[in-house]
Amino acid sequence: MKKILASILFAGSIILSSISAHAEKYGGTLSFLVQPEPPTLASYVSTSGPIGLVMPKVYEGLFDYDNDGKMVPMLAESYSITPDGKTVTFKLRKGVKWHDGKPFTSADVKFTILEVLKKVHPRGPNSFREVSSIDTPDDHTAIFNLDNPAPYMMRSFSAYESPIVPKHLLEGQDVKSASLANNPVGTGPFKFVEWKKGQYIRLDKNENYWQEGLPYLDRIVGRFIPDASTRTAAMENGEVLYAAYNAVPNIDAVRLKERDDIDVTTDGYSMINPMALIEFNTKEGPFVDPAVRRAISTAIDRRFMIDTIFFGYGKPATSALSSNFSATNLHAQMPNYPEKGDVGAANAILDKAGYKKDGNGVRMKAVLDIIPYGEDWRRAGEYLKQAMGDIGIQLELRYEDVPTWLKRVYHNYDFEMNVNYFYQLPDPVLGVHRHYGTNQIRQGTHFVNSSRYSNPTLDALLDSGSKEPDAAKRTATYKEIQSILANDMPVVNLFELQFLTVYNTKLKGAYGSAMGAYGSFREAYLDD
Amino acid sequence: MIRSNKILKYVLKRLAQGVPIILAIVVINFFLLNMAEGDAVDVLAGEAGSATPEYMAELRKKFGLDQPLPVQLMVYLKNVVMLDLGYSFRHEMPVNQLIFDRFGATALLMTSTIILAVGFGILLGLLAAMRLNTWKDAVITVFALITYATPLFWVGLMMIVVFSLNLGWFPTSGMENVAAFYEGWDRVVDIAHHLVLPTITLSLFYLALYTRMMRASMLEQYGQDYVVTARAKGLTERRITFVHVLRNALLPVVTMAGVQVGALIGGSVIVESVFAWPGLGMLAFESLFARDLNLLLGIFLLSSILVVAVNLVVDIIYCFLDPRIEVD
Repeated sequence: MKKILASILFAGSIILSSISAHAEKYGGTLSFLVQPEPPTLASYVSTSGPIGLVMPKVYEGLFDYDNDGKMVPMLAESYSITPDGKTVTFKLRKGVKWHDGKPFTSADVKFTILEVLKKVHPRGPNSFREVSSIDTPDDHTAIFNLDNPAPYMMRSFSAYESPIVPKHLLEGQDVKSASLANNPVGTGPFKFVEWKKGQYIRLDKNENYWQEGLPYLDRIVGRFIPDASTRTAAMENGEVLYAAYNAVPNIDAVRLKERDDIDVTTDGYSMINPMALIEFNTKEGPFVDPAVRRAISTAIDRRFMIDTIFFGYGKPATSALSSNFSATNLHAQMPNYPEKGDVGAANAILDKAGYKKDGNGVRMKAVLDIIPYGEDWRRAGEYLKQAMGDIGIQLELRYEDVPTWLKRVYHNYDFEMNVNYFYQLPDPVLGVHRHYGTNQIRQGTHFVNSSRYSNPTLDALLDSGSKEPDAAKRTATYKEIQSILANDMPVVNLFELQFLTVYNTKLKGAYGSAMGAYGSFREAYLDD
Repeated sequence: MIRSNKILKYVLKRLAQGVPIILAIVVINFFLLNMAEGDAVDVLAGEAGSATPEYMAELRKKFGLDQPLPVQLMVYLKNVVMLDLGYSFRHEMPVNQLIFDRFGATALLMTSTIILAVGFGILLGLLAAMRLNTWKDAVITVFALITYATPLFWVGLMMIVVFSLNLGWFPTSGMENVAAFYEGWDRVVDIAHHLVLPTITLSLFYLALYTRMMRASMLEQYGQDYVVTARAKGLTERRITFVHVLRNALLPVVTMAGVQVGALIGGSVIVESVFAWPGLGMLAFESLFARDLNLLLGIFLLSSILVVAVNLVVDIIYCFLDPRIEVD
């Protein structure tokens, strides 16, 4: 079994590289947009977006994921799981060297998972929570011993999510403040050269990269341009060739797409699964009653928001899970999520629940907080104010800067209704459970269960959903979870965001992987 | 000899007076900045996606944010006196180094802006005053009025649209061509090339201001008795303008230029973000939103020192422009 799996994976990697091994050109510098400038380059401590744009070119993961979500061997050549799901053995690649020349071994993997990711990574303690120990019988074998089966763990080995870092440069130091943060040494296709603060990060080709013939580019330069209009102009001028994560705003992307030399894609975000949503304070204020939250979900015209505010880029939410989870049969369509909004039905729910309109047609008043991440979200707030007015909920909008907003919502719980977006990540255990579990009511921690929703039945289902190795049983569990959430609505899911990547057509091979901009660019090349 | 001694004494005295002013600025800034909700740990954890409360408490302890404010202030002041501006935990770097790395870019932009604005402002004002009520005067006055009234970021974006996108003469942004990595003389030319648009954008407003001021100041001096006397003595208009009137007319312009160095740093936030110029203005802007208070305080400290120093230089320039002004 183990051998078969290994050879399938190996054959897959050969096919992949032979498909792309043709017509590529060597050489050239790729300058792309990194927005905003990252604070440090410690991707093993922070999953912050701009760090994720740069570091997967330098550090690698055990696996990568292709467009269909299949695992592509990277630092690990193959893996096998015992039938009880509690032991996972990785065969590591031989002949891989760190950029400083030291060999990569299983000791690096053990150290990275147990001492770094499980301790200081924002999501690592969750992804690897079942890993109790790792055995390293030889330099190229790592055996993960789990307390319980953890099927979701196999989705979190990408270079962005779980970068493997050099033990010899971190061991014995305070991991969070080690000098590696600003002088990274990895195994990836590009080596870190310099970081001119306020200007650029420069990465040069790794001449000794383990993948024969890769990478094609001589150099990658990540540029920081704070002003959105200037970013668009630099893209138009050909000064930068690649802009992911809406670095060029939707409104400009729609215009740039008309040009022959520039294209726009929504590919490359399927491992991120961003979902726009409204969090409610379910403990006090007007949204304690689930009927009110259901009415809100029913009244919202999701299609209007996507078409008018986000220029058509997005998909209406149909349940608490992103439709991208259809691939693993976890997503199920739920009621109370009308695409076009149903004001009549929403009013009926509120009437039935006993909320009377006063002389001005107002049933209740509330304050809506908005994620302070740009103009689009302000427009979304303005739409919600109008839409809620139609069902007698009078909203006042509140905009604050990021630290104030975080403090208000996740620390002080001093809010009623909050528009936000969350990454659902490649598995619900990693990205979705944090909204709803009772154990995720963690005051002072950002982007967890700020609604303070607590339901023992749901807790039990979430628990079995994370440990269930049988796919059919897991599907049934998540169907039940989505059904409970569609009824209780502690969070109203609005729509699946589609981030845009704007790129110059002379850049090839940099998109199309599931990791997109968080990928390695090892197969990117320039073709004039 | 006696005069230069006097000036030296004066400079030392002014510097000594500057120290308590700067310390007061530090203390006021410290409390003002700490009034903002949220701290650096909130921002770091927010960007990272999620973090445990224990981890956040540990970070606060490491940054010293768990200490009471007066203790934090004392620690900060003690460091400042030792010329150590502290550590930016966000950047994992000493503040001194961060500021030092970025100061050059800002100094370059500010110097070229001041030279352009003051130089051309004086020239245009002079020209307008000498050709009073002719078409030249009218053109200069209208130009000054329009540039004075136009917002900086709009001027910047229009510069990019016209000179970068349409004409292709200048790059849109940045301080040098990062794909080329020039060395030596080529690099100097490259940086100068990148400097053109931001300098013009930032100087236009001040250029207008100095033009108007110079024109008014010249006209005022022309009406003075000493000009009548000079004319009666039979001096040429040229000699009257350049030897007598000009020196007196320069005084208010120089005063204004000195006062505006502080404002220039504020204006540079906009220009630096439009042109991605890697200076202190941008750094200050980012560190405010990141609640990186050590870094922000460091930048404020440096700009207050700069303002005090420039004002001192202006006062010294006075006594060369007008020997009647005493220093003591």
